[in-house]
Amino acid sequence: MAGKSGRAISAAPKDGLRSRILSWEGALVLIFLAVQIFGVSISPNYNFTNVLREMPKYLAEIFMLFGMACILILGDIDISVGSIVCLSATMACFAGNAGAPFPVVVLVCLGIGLLCGMVNGFLAIKLQELPTMIITLGTQIIFRGIAEVTLKSGGSVSMEDVAGLMQMGKKLGPFPLSLFFVVLTAVIFSVLLNRTVFGRELYAVGANKTAAYYAGIEVQKDRFICYSLLGGLAGVCGIFLLASLYGANTTTGSGFEMEVIAMCVFGGIATTGGKGNLTGAFIAAFVIVCIRIALGQRNINTQLILVIIGAMLIISVLLPTISNGLRAKKQKR
Amino acid sequence: MKKKLISVLVSAGMIAALLAGCGSSTPESSPASSGAAAAAEPAESADTAATDGAAETSGSGAAGHTYAIVTKAAGNPYMERMSSGFQGVIEAAGGTCIVQNPEAATADAQISVIQSLISQGVDSIAVAANDANALTAALTEAKDAGIQVLTLDSDVNAAARRTFCNQAGIQEVGQALIDAVYDLTGGKGQYAILSATSQATNQNAWIDAMKTIAENDDKYSGLELVEVAYGDDEPQKSTDQTQALLQNYPELKVICAPTTVGISAAAKVLQDQKSSVKLTGLGLPSEMAEYIGSDGAHSCPYMFLWNPIDLGKLAAYTSIALVDGTITGKAGDSFEAGDMENSPYTVTDMSDGTGTEIILGPPFRFDPDNIAEWAEVY
Repeated sequence: MAGKSGRAISAAPKDGLRSRILSWEGALVLIFLAVQIFGVSISPNYNFTNVLREMPKYLAEIFMLFGMACILILGDIDISVGSIVCLSATMACFAGNAGAPFPVVVLVCLGIGLLCGMVNGFLAIKLQELPTMIITLGTQIIFRGIAEVTLKSGGSVSMEDVAGLMQMGKKLGPFPLSLFFVVLTAVIFSVLLNRTVFGRELYAVGANKTAAYYAGIEVQKDRFICYSLLGGLAGVCGIFLLASLYGANTTTGSGFEMEVIAMCVFGGIATTGGKGNLTGAFIAAFVIVCIRIALGQRNINTQLILVIIGAMLIISVLLPTISNGLRAKKQKR
Repeated sequence: MKKKLISVLVSAGMIAALLAGCGSSTPESSPASSGAAAAAEPAESADTAATDGAAETSGSGAAGHTYAIVTKAAGNPYMERMSSGFQGVIEAAGGTCIVQNPEAATADAQISVIQSLISQGVDSIAVAANDANALTAALTEAKDAGIQVLTLDSDVNAAARRTFCNQAGIQEVGQALIDAVYDLTGGKGQYAILSATSQATNQNAWIDAMKTIAENDDKYSGLELVEVAYGDDEPQKSTDQTQALLQNYPELKVICAPTTVGISAAAKVLQDQKSSVKLTGLGLPSEMAEYIGSDGAHSCPYMFLWNPIDLGKLAAYTSIALVDGTITGKAGDSFEAGDMENSPYTVTDMSDGTGTEIILGPPFRFDPDNIAEWAEVY
């Protein structure tokens, strides 16, 4: 079975402090600290309060990171999550405006997300010959299509009663409420991936699906569960997004899938499956968010910010190749 | 072993260098996004102005204050003209100007930008909203932080801003467009509307005004609106939608596109296909010059627009007046707007009674007689 650590940037033995620093997660911590120094040095407004104040919008996205990590570790992919966010937020708004009490609105949002995830999971296990990229491309269009049909020509819906949403958007001291939920979700998924049989099964399936199947792992059941979990988390993203948008429109959540996948890949999770861990993805998410906030405060053109994040992604994926190349050179000598 | 450690550090260093590199390039990138030159100096001083903005005593006019404008998205020539007008006035008045173009034409992207401006402690934010409701929370937060919030081009909920710089009264635009359709169809026949996104506030308001006017006056009873198509302000999608309209409605006489992206895409399709369908709407003169003409070889006999540069300028004068306390955004407030044609401007109540607005002026007609002259302006 392949190792759980992220990107191999060295052939060091897998124990001891040195290997910990040499691991990709260790490097990410250093990068995170570097980004903080960078942020403070380029923007006089880059401080604890402001970063936390700008964070809720990104935190909503980070919920999906954990489900996406599971899917990627399985060797699958799901590019429909942005549309699930749109559909669940839209339906939640309609439920709220139809007079449903706030807890029901939350349940509708999570329920629609879960349902969409289950549809993805069902299709993924029934259409095994199709790449999941194609299946979820289809559902991506379908889910957003349903949202667009529901929204009709107006194209947007807003919550009439925002009292509940304002509660969700509240802050405890400087900390946004959603941060606590993100951390809680991180802990739950960390235990799930690292301390349970289910978690180990995901790595086994991602490393070699056929071998895992013959080892008695219910591969298709695990895949279904992961898609459903991710769908549910997209619903969570939807409700927290509503807390800052107070409504939904046809563009809500567009592009989220790629941002979340980027965070995972930057965090060392291989899209080929079986490699990487949640810690790396979690730190990577905050690295990307902090870079966006810092550059934003410096009024850097947002397109340039995307270029920078894309470049970082490619460099991070190339790292093993670079370090292997260096090693090969050294051995030749 | 050591080599490997070094390789890790080198890699981390590369990333750090990449980041540092973009940090130092700020002054160049900022004017690039605003489309106007000579902004390196103001961009550099933006930080200092923003940090001690609170402590700054309100000196003469705009000096020492920071005024921000948030456009709908980058890569939209209309928005670029608007922000350059805004920037010109602010900088001439001695203020610091921040121009922000969100990465996509969505409310989400605008929220990130607004949050960042709150962190920077700017004095005012003028925003062309991508969604009427979704910005409410972010703009309310800005207001609570003591920032003067106004909208231009596309409005938000009245409670979330002081006032709205309206490029044209909804009624005035709706009337001009439906009259153009009436004229070009000869008073009878099918017409279609090619809009931007289905949730664009201003597009929907104008289209609704057109429909209402047509329904309430027998003069327009011969006109039949067959479809409102949405090109999402993307050239390719607008082209596809135009072709679909031509295919689905062979009897179509006129397409009315109240969006600059839509009208230029439709103009090209109609002219290339030598279609007999005529086009009107709201377009940018420089983009539409080759399509405007009264003969059969041109697809658009005439169209309308206001001057986006003037709209940006009006928003800039409004920002300055709000920040220095000349106006508070209440109906009846009045202020001078430099050398602008309709100055002084007065804040008025909106027709729906929810808030206030400042109307730039009636829409301007571009026809074969004046298009060459205006094409060089914007």
